[in-house]
Amino acid sequence: MAVSLAESHTESHAVSALDLTLVDKIYAGGVHALRGIAMRVARGEIFGLLGPNGAGKSTLVKVVTTIVRPTRVEGTVLGNPIGHMPTLARIGYLPEHHRFPAYLTGRQCVEFFGAMTGVESSRRKRRASELLDTVGMLAWADKRLGTYSKGMQQRIGIASAMVNDPDLVILDEPTDGVDPVGRREIRDVLLNIRERGTTVFLNSHLLSEIELVCDRVAIMVQGRVARQGKIEELTRESHCVRIVFSGDSPAWAAEVGGVRAMDRGRHALEFPKATIESVQPTLDRLRSEGRVVHGLAEARESLEALFMREVTDPTSGRARPIGAEASR
Amino acid sequence: MNLQWMQTSALFVDAYRELNARKLFWIALVLNALVVAVIGALGIDEKGVTVLVWHLEMTGVNSAIFPPDQFYHTLFASFGVGFWLAWISTILALLSTATIFPELVTGGVDTLVSKPISRHRLYFTKFATGLLFTLAQVLVFTTLSFLVLGIRGGVWSFGLFIAVPIMLVFYSYLYSVMAVMGSLTRSVIASVIVTLLFWVGIWAVHAGEQFTLLGETVQNVEITAIERRLENAQTVVGRAPLEADLANAQVALGVWRPIHLSLYALKTALPKASETIQLLNRSLKQIADVPTPDDDEMNDSAVAGRGFLGSKYARRRDVQAAIERDMKTRPLWWVLGTSLAFEAALLGFGAWRFSRRDF
Repeated sequence: MAVSLAESHTESHAVSALDLTLVDKIYAGGVHALRGIAMRVARGEIFGLLGPNGAGKSTLVKVVTTIVRPTRVEGTVLGNPIGHMPTLARIGYLPEHHRFPAYLTGRQCVEFFGAMTGVESSRRKRRASELLDTVGMLAWADKRLGTYSKGMQQRIGIASAMVNDPDLVILDEPTDGVDPVGRREIRDVLLNIRERGTTVFLNSHLLSEIELVCDRVAIMVQGRVARQGKIEELTRESHCVRIVFSGDSPAWAAEVGGVRAMDRGRHALEFPKATIESVQPTLDRLRSEGRVVHGLAEARESLEALFMREVTDPTSGRARPIGAEASR
Repeated sequence: MNLQWMQTSALFVDAYRELNARKLFWIALVLNALVVAVIGALGIDEKGVTVLVWHLEMTGVNSAIFPPDQFYHTLFASFGVGFWLAWISTILALLSTATIFPELVTGGVDTLVSKPISRHRLYFTKFATGLLFTLAQVLVFTTLSFLVLGIRGGVWSFGLFIAVPIMLVFYSYLYSVMAVMGSLTRSVIASVIVTLLFWVGIWAVHAGEQFTLLGETVQNVEITAIERRLENAQTVVGRAPLEADLANAQVALGVWRPIHLSLYALKTALPKASETIQLLNRSLKQIADVPTPDDDEMNDSAVAGRGFLGSKYARRRDVQAAIERDMKTRPLWWVLGTSLAFEAALLGFGAWRFSRRDF
């Protein structure tokens, strides 16, 4: 039994980019930022970390990248213990509020971080040009960072995080300050990165963005992981079939499903955990009573709805207080 | 190229770019060159001093008294090192490098510490990059001075280059304070102010130690002189005032000595900036073979020095000789070793705090 557990653990390390079993962080002021975090990110996936302000997302990322010293940590990153120095050369990181030196050009900045992770000079130069092209900054490559907009600096940050061809790239709010076109481009870059087998750990407030690119997500609330898994799995419970029709709501509707009034005189009839086939009789009944059916579709809770549910206090119905609690 | 070397090179290149982007670096470099140009513009001949094409006749200052090589060596030692490098150039260097550590802990520190480099190595490498500034400044100043001495003085004195390591060590005392303060407070202004206050503080301790050493030495010389007179005194009447003076001198010595010992102990624990500069001056004077004041001059001073610090019998010549003997007992390791030990302890503390910090 012990052998099989060990094997299972080794196997888990082999397939996990990040495997955290217990992470605690209490800051000097007594703020308990992380409370027993357990999280697993598989290799080659895009993993999204969500949470309200002060939930501990950035602290968690900083623990993994050794910027913050954990109070307690059990787990691995790329198969090695957290804090293992050589492993850091295989990680790319873009901090949330980064401040790159204004005296460097975009190209110098990317090359500098390449050197800091041990990328050989000739390869560094080649990679810098490739990445600057990828993030759309080649034309600005030899201008100083001090002259860049926030979005342009963000692109340089992404290129810098990728210069060492990392196995795991951690991006904290990568689209912060980037215009919609840029966001789309960054999203494409992330998908390209995944195509090459690199694991992406994405920390973002933009739920729509996360929903579009992430394979799996975790929601953090007040220093704890509230939910984690594939988006489809997390929203499975909310799956329903929805019929949209015009006209008055029939009296029998409330008996077969939930009715919701919509605009332009329409109503939606929702059947939780139903299938398209199982609602066909209801569809026929609506038509037979002269109502016009405008749509029939499977629906599920959006990531935003799921997120809001997790960050809302069920007793008060209001959002949980911002930030982590002070340790007692 | 291994990873450590690659990272160190990258940090040094980055420091060069940072300095290069700062106008103050180039201003300081140009000022260094200008100071040497001023020294080079001065000349000496058998009639007096020349300034470019102008000639100032001076009876006391001419090449018969000061051969040109000694003239330039003295200018380099007294004005170049004693004034320019030890004060103005050092202040310029402190101001120019003041942002390095506050920038490190507030700027891109998170990106840097997430790379495979230990925080200790990052801290010490950043410190070394700050020293680059002084290295560049002193190297330019010394090289130009070497050329001036060679071309104008006719002597190619490679010994001048001793100024480079000594000034670097001198600057590192102050820069260590600024580095630690910068990384602790994250404030450029606070780190500069504390460093300047520290500089004033160690200068005050040095001045106090030297003054109390003088006081103690005067009393020691006084006691020796009185005891010699007592040996020769024949009558009780003649001995009485001497014995009273001896008792007074012993009481005074009892006051001076503990104060001096306390200041000496304090100074031992602190960087010895003044002694380090004196070390350089002594080396330069030895290279230049500048003569010390002759005995006649000393005798005159000795007469004039009677009554110094309440003494009646101590002669200035004897006091000065005793102080020189005392100063010679202070070895090089005491001047540089204990200063560098202070610096190492301070930087060790700074690096330890930096390595324990969350960013």
